[in-house]
Amino acid sequence: IHPTGKLFVLSDGEGKHTTVELSEPLDEEISGVLEVVGRVTNQATIMCMSYVQFREDKSPFDLELYNEAIKIIHEFPEYFPFG
Amino acid sequence: QRIRSQNIVPCTVSQLLAAEQVDETFRIRDVEISQVTIMGIIRHAEKAPTNILYKVDDMTAAPMDVRQWVDTDEAGGENVVVPPGTYVKVAGHLRSFQNKKSLVAFKIMPLENMNEFTTHILEIVNAHMILRKNLMSASRVPQSFSSAGISDAGGYGGGGSLPVNGLTAHQSQVLNLIKNCPVPEGMSLQELKLQLHNMSMSTIKQAVEFLSSEGHIYSTVDDDHYKSTDAE
Repeated sequence: IHPTGKLFVLSDGEGKHTTVELSEPLDEEISGVLEVVGRVTNQATIMCMSYVQFREDKSPFDLELYNEAIKIIHEFPEYFPFG
Repeated sequence: QRIRSQNIVPCTVSQLLAAEQVDETFRIRDVEISQVTIMGIIRHAEKAPTNILYKVDDMTAAPMDVRQWVDTDEAGGENVVVPPGTYVKVAGHLRSFQNKKSLVAFKIMPLENMNEFTTHILEIVNAHMILRKNLMSASRVPQSFSSAGISDAGGYGGGGSLPVNGLTAHQSQVLNLIKNCPVPEGMSLQELKLQLHNMSMSTIKQAVEFLSSEGHIYSTVDDDHYKSTDAE
């Protein structure tokens, strides 16, 4: 997380990194797995509109498996439409 | 042949919104659905005397209205409102009123393990694919292909051998050969070429790649050997 609190870097299930920008600096400590909803900018960063932290208190989240699942659903738009 | 839906089918909100309604039944691309599960995050919760109205968002479309009827006789457990920002699994019936779709939930459960989310999205693709496949191949293609019979015929083998399961003639021939191969390590590409003299190696390879990506076959000892996923 950047010192200003307006930027943080996420890494995905394949170890690739992406920068997420916020319109307001973070007002809380965040760590762990986050789901960010936002728009991709022309600098290939994500302008964050909202985020939610995944619960990992009971079991850890398998991010690599999730990544694989996402790839699969994109291969089958007829069974997983994005309205 | 309709599949009478006794099942509870996992769906995306976008699928539910796109479902067509004929009289009392809903269909998603010909698959009949009634009871469904969706998984998403609660964006809004509104408590009324007899019911709680949630808006559940799974990011495939706008949040869907989910109504949970409240048992006014029972105090405690049943009437706790799930707070917005929580991921939940909803099981319920699809309803449409004045062209607006919603769900009437019989179960709303907050997710404790987010890996359930990964499972759910995979189950959606799997369930819809299988239900659709069952509809399409109303009759099984008779397994009467012997290795000698295929090689001369060229395209369709005649009579009752038209592929009904969405495969082309080439793909069906390749699949049937692989299915009927008794050897543990499966059928090799070289074997396939020997059996199918009228097909070029590149056509065979293309068929194998397609069948493999559709899940009909899988590679065994190496990328040149394949077995069928349908055990005969």
